Amino acid sequence: MSRIMAHMVAYYPDRKRSLAVAEGLIDGGASYLEIQFPFSDPTADGPAIQEASERALDAGFTVQSGFDLVREIAALTGSRCGPDGAPPIFLMTYASLVYARGVDRFIADGVDAGAAGFILPDLPFDHDEGAAAAASRHGASVMPVTVTSAPAARLDGLLATDPEYVYVALRRGITGSRTDLDDATLGVLDRIRATGTKVMAGFGVSDRAQVVALEAHAHAVVVGSALVRAVAAVADGPADAIRAAVANRLRELTG
Amino acid sequence: MADKVYNDYFGEFGGRYVAEVLRTPLDELEAAFKDAMADPGFHAEVDAIADTFVGRPTPMLYARNSSDELGGARIFVKLEGLANTGAHKINNAVGQALLAKRMGKTRIIAETGAGQHGVATAAVCAKLGIECVVYMGEVDIARQRPNVFFMELFGATVAPVSSGQRTLKDAVNEALRDWAASFADTHYVIGSALGPSPYPDMVREFQSVVGRETQEQIEQYVAAEGLSVEALVACVGGGSNAIGFFAPFLDQASPRLIGVEAGGRGTEPGQHAARMKGLGRTGIVQGYKSLFLLSDDGQVQDTHSLSAGLDYPGIGPQLAALGVSGRVEFARATDADALDALRFFARNEGVVFALESAHGAAEAIRIARELPRDRAIVVNMSGRGDKDLFITARELGGPRWKSFLQSEVDRFDADANGGGE
Repeated sequence: MSRIMAHMVAYYPDRKRSLAVAEGLIDGGASYLEIQFPFSDPTADGPAIQEASERALDAGFTVQSGFDLVREIAALTGSRCGPDGAPPIFLMTYASLVYARGVDRFIADGVDAGAAGFILPDLPFDHDEGAAAAASRHGASVMPVTVTSAPAARLDGLLATDPEYVYVALRRGITGSRTDLDDATLGVLDRIRATGTKVMAGFGVSDRAQVVALEAHAHAVVVGSALVRAVAAVADGPADAIRAAVANRLRELTG
Repeated sequence: MADKVYNDYFGEFGGRYVAEVLRTPLDELEAAFKDAMADPGFHAEVDAIADTFVGRPTPMLYARNSSDELGGARIFVKLEGLANTGAHKINNAVGQALLAKRMGKTRIIAETGAGQHGVATAAVCAKLGIECVVYMGEVDIARQRPNVFFMELFGATVAPVSSGQRTLKDAVNEALRDWAASFADTHYVIGSALGPSPYPDMVREFQSVVGRETQEQIEQYVAAEGLSVEALVACVGGGSNAIGFFAPFLDQASPRLIGVEAGGRGTEPGQHAARMKGLGRTGIVQGYKSLFLLSDDGQVQDTHSLSAGLDYPGIGPQLAALGVSGRVEFARATDADALDALRFFARNEGVVFALESAHGAAEAIRIARELPRDRAIVVNMSGRGDKDLFITARELGGPRWKSFLQSEVDRFDADANGGGE
């Protein structure tokens, strides 16, 4: 079974049913959970995640209620037994939410709720407002994001911070469009992997063949928009149906 | 703080808080911008288009009748709205489009709120023969249809944005998404002095021609009347006309520099677009750190202004820093204040302010009354009001305007029916 970091948006379609999404992702064999806190202006996301974010905000998401949801999901994952153990939770969001709460407080609250780490795409590793240092103080980590098109010097700078994980966005552009894998792309993954850093490779992964092609070059494959679209297809249905649909979609990808 | 062409940060504000995918195009843009600004040949190219296409210098009007009626300080109006396409936006569009050509880009994208930046960019792209796509919120498309018409006439594609509040900030988001996938051949022309660096510096540099001309015209017209300039006044949305107008004066203690924000319908959240004087909070949104209208959680709040161009939740980082340092003072004008000022200057001077610029005019009227007659105030009419006809006429034109619109629709229908037979 392939290792997948499965993405979901907190409070999408609403609180109760987003808990069902988390259950479905755990059922489906997620090795990591990436839980996105919705932001009003998600510039790095495509239409699927933007629409999910808008609906989640309409459903009453607040940062505090998001941490409470993470706590519940962490309790679910903690009770699961399996060869890989419980899937660690990475909390993904935008700088505005982190900065508004205070970087240290946001990180501390996230860790307290059960997050193992944070993905903050618009806080670059060299201008992160102290996020990585705060995470390290609280026993967690920030997973920096890089792109396969990054100049070598930029990637070297990132790797010099000795991150445990690196999230590699495989294509130009936003989340949710299909990605073609070529040798240059896979070469970047191999280069990062050779440093001992765990590579989380994603952006546009939507079928099993892509997962298979990637997994030899990455620690885990990230699946985001494809799962959000699976939720969207049954978003108005009952929680059980959502849980089953998400689990089935993820199983297609984990193999 | 404005003596450098490239600053990146202004005090604590500014920076480049972007997803890593946008780092490469922004680094390239920074290098190209610095290179161009150091090249006299580039400046000559900009100046040539300014002379023959933009219509520079724009005049400065001594508003004698208005000043007499108010009885206080004398008001001068920098008629920047007489520039081609009707607003200061053309200065930045020309500069960035020429920079894009220099970088070998073959496609230009832009966001627009009121439509003025979109029209300016579309016009320059028509002139320079570059493909142009303008992102515009559906709400703004609905209230600024004449500008959509002109953009399309110039051959641009106007891409409607249906996400979020469907106004300027959502158009910025959509343009950033396009650029993240297209930067190899595409340049993104941001229309205001905001966004990730180098945009705030770049837009200020391209708009500072307004301030330089104002400096010369003060010598020529204001000083000649034996008056001393007390204040320069400009409206502030993102802040591109204000920062360009103020730029040459930032390093001196006088005159007073006053930015006027949209007071909308009141100070409650969602009823205005005033970020300064306590309503905004420090945040990181759309790639830069500045003062924004945010909820306690950091979500971007809704805004309101009668003028689409001021209806934006963030302020350019340099103006935010200048507000904190006190060099630039901030004031607010409501929707109603702006309409009153528009009417006042139209009746007295024969000029129609754009609704955005009319916010500055309202503040100029207010402070002129409080100042002695040997002082002068210069207000920047950053845009002219032609584009707002359908808003101002609805507010001020009464039933005769409505019956005119009705008769236009009837005529349209009659032509369509007749032509379809």
